Amino acid sequence: MATISEDAMKTAQARPDLRDEGARLGFRLTLPAQILVLFISAFPLLMQLYISVTDWSPLSGLGWWNAWSLWNNFANYTDLAADARFWSALKRTAIVMIVCVPAEFLLGLALATLFADDFPGKRIFYSILLMPMMVVPAVAGYMFFMLFQSGGPVNDILSSLTGSPVTIAWLSDPTLALFAVMVADIWQWTPLMFLILLAGLVGVPEDQIKAATLLGANPWQRFVTIVLPKMKMIIIIALAIRVIENFKIFDTLYIMTGGGPGVATETISVYIYKLTTQDLIWGYVAAIALAILIVLSIVAVLAMRRMARSREVPA
Amino acid sequence: MSAIHLQSLVKKFGDFTALKTMDLAISDGEFMALLGPSGCGKSTTMNMIAGMEEPTGGKILFGERDMAGVPMGRRGVGFVFQNYAIFTHMTVRQNLAYGPKMRGAAKAEIDRRVGAIAEMLQLTPLLDRKADRLSVNILQRVAIGRSAIMEPAIFLLDEPLSNVDAAFRAVMRTELKQLQRQFRQTMVYVTHDQLEAMTMADRIAVMDHGVLQQVGTPLEVYNDPANVFVARFIGAPGMNLLKGRPAESDRGLVVDLGPLGITPRLPDALAAALRGARGEVLYGFRPEQATLVQDGRGLAMPVSFVERIGARTIVHLGEGESAVKTVFDNDVGLAIGDIAVVAPAASSVRIFDAATGLAIKAG
Repeated sequence: MATISEDAMKTAQARPDLRDEGARLGFRLTLPAQILVLFISAFPLLMQLYISVTDWSPLSGLGWWNAWSLWNNFANYTDLAADARFWSALKRTAIVMIVCVPAEFLLGLALATLFADDFPGKRIFYSILLMPMMVVPAVAGYMFFMLFQSGGPVNDILSSLTGSPVTIAWLSDPTLALFAVMVADIWQWTPLMFLILLAGLVGVPEDQIKAATLLGANPWQRFVTIVLPKMKMIIIIALAIRVIENFKIFDTLYIMTGGGPGVATETISVYIYKLTTQDLIWGYVAAIALAILIVLSIVAVLAMRRMARSREVPA
Repeated sequence: MSAIHLQSLVKKFGDFTALKTMDLAISDGEFMALLGPSGCGKSTTMNMIAGMEEPTGGKILFGERDMAGVPMGRRGVGFVFQNYAIFTHMTVRQNLAYGPKMRGAAKAEIDRRVGAIAEMLQLTPLLDRKADRLSVNILQRVAIGRSAIMEPAIFLLDEPLSNVDAAFRAVMRTELKQLQRQFRQTMVYVTHDQLEAMTMADRIAVMDHGVLQQVGTPLEVYNDPANVFVARFIGAPGMNLLKGRPAESDRGLVVDLGPLGITPRLPDALAAALRGARGEVLYGFRPEQATLVQDGRGLAMPVSFVERIGARTIVHLGEGESAVKTVFDNDVGLAIGDIAVVAPAASSVRIFDAATGLAIKAG
């Protein structure tokens, strides 16, 4: 098969006009879709960029296209740099990410390893395991809101385990509230990690694992030298998806704590939401959102570059 | 030490019996081919030798040592997979070094052994190449080297040439045979390609439907097939088998083939073994061992098809039950519809019991 594709490549190289012709046709065929995508992604982005350098808000009595009259000399960006609440929200978002994503990854990987082999009742456990992912985040939020009430099931369980009544006010304590929010996120998104990693795991060529076994590698050595390197791409994809998604953590968290107590669980998304709906300073919101977009884009680009480098011909 | 004994080996998958009571002794340094059509149990046998599958019954001995319960990593077996199972995310060097490294050999020791094996397999200039873009014969050498570096007493090869195009297969066969001479290990080679088995193996174990049919040198299985299956399976095309009954004639003992008439006289030894038998028999001869003769001294049959394969020409005679293939030189002047009279060389005739399929041996 390798020889065939090499031949095809040689033919294409020998007649570059042929390859260009294909590329041109491809461009023409995808042009309508590209224009559509351009409007969906580029237009809002430009609009956002425009508004972010003004003091425009829906209450300013002007159409957004007239926002230029409220030009504020990049005051939004200078404000942003000095906004302590923004920086602490960013830091909190980072903490949530640093805890949740690795936890989801490790749990997902452990579960995927377990599910790669057969065991009785596997199908049922599989369905149960995927369920959290299917739950509407708002519903999950209410669920965990109830669970973590001071008279709720979590405390009940702790009471029966310790033998003395436990009445921890989970969602009113700054540290515990953040913890509860992270638990909810890990509960809901570990299944996605599991699903992606399982797909990667079953894709590892079995012959190579057997070959490693025959050469005397123990299970741990096989995992480190064969399975993980073969899963590298899919791991990068899974982590990139969760890092980006987790950075935008909002619905579950907002329903559980509303960002509180105080600002103890206020992440970037919650902060933006409050600025948008309560403070109505849309120019500033646009500036924040743009800054976040740039950060996330950098993460995505780094991940993609990493992937392109480690790309290999499948066995 | 590295002889392999299979004793009453049985393998069942649920209700399906993949291997029925197999006994086979492979001696030290021997190149044994397990040959048979797909589903004959050859791969199952090999996987049990390697320890990838547990036998349902029976024993596997390496020398004197019972292999029951010995995990595959500890059997000292080198295994070359059908697709070679090269670690594509590593370099050739890392592939070769894998075994010793996993067993915790010292760096200097690994380097020395990798260097030696690479030299032997002419892989030295390729050592730092990524293993995902190598041609098949290099992959084969890496696969063999990766196993050979562990100095296994036994080498198992699972249809390593089945993914290789025909032109290249001859090159690979030669290379593989030379490698075996170099390493002098016991080799078990699974294949469905009789040409591979015939050209490389010291002995061939022919299998079908989980049953060992015959074990012998390539020429033994070719010349004296133990039964009808082996007769048909070995040789390209396989042996011709015509149904008939032994009959006395003025020329001596012959086989009465019904509408095809009677065969030439059977050789004395065969006639002696057959005399007295009254049941149906199969009259067998190799397509290569028939010659065109004058009318009256052979089997007269119409030519139904002529297959020219270059060096030789395969002529199909007759139809259905009494179809026969013969191989002639390429200048044979036969066309479809001609009547050809063919006679097998007397010494090449083999007779099988039609009921049991077993060969009736000349005394």
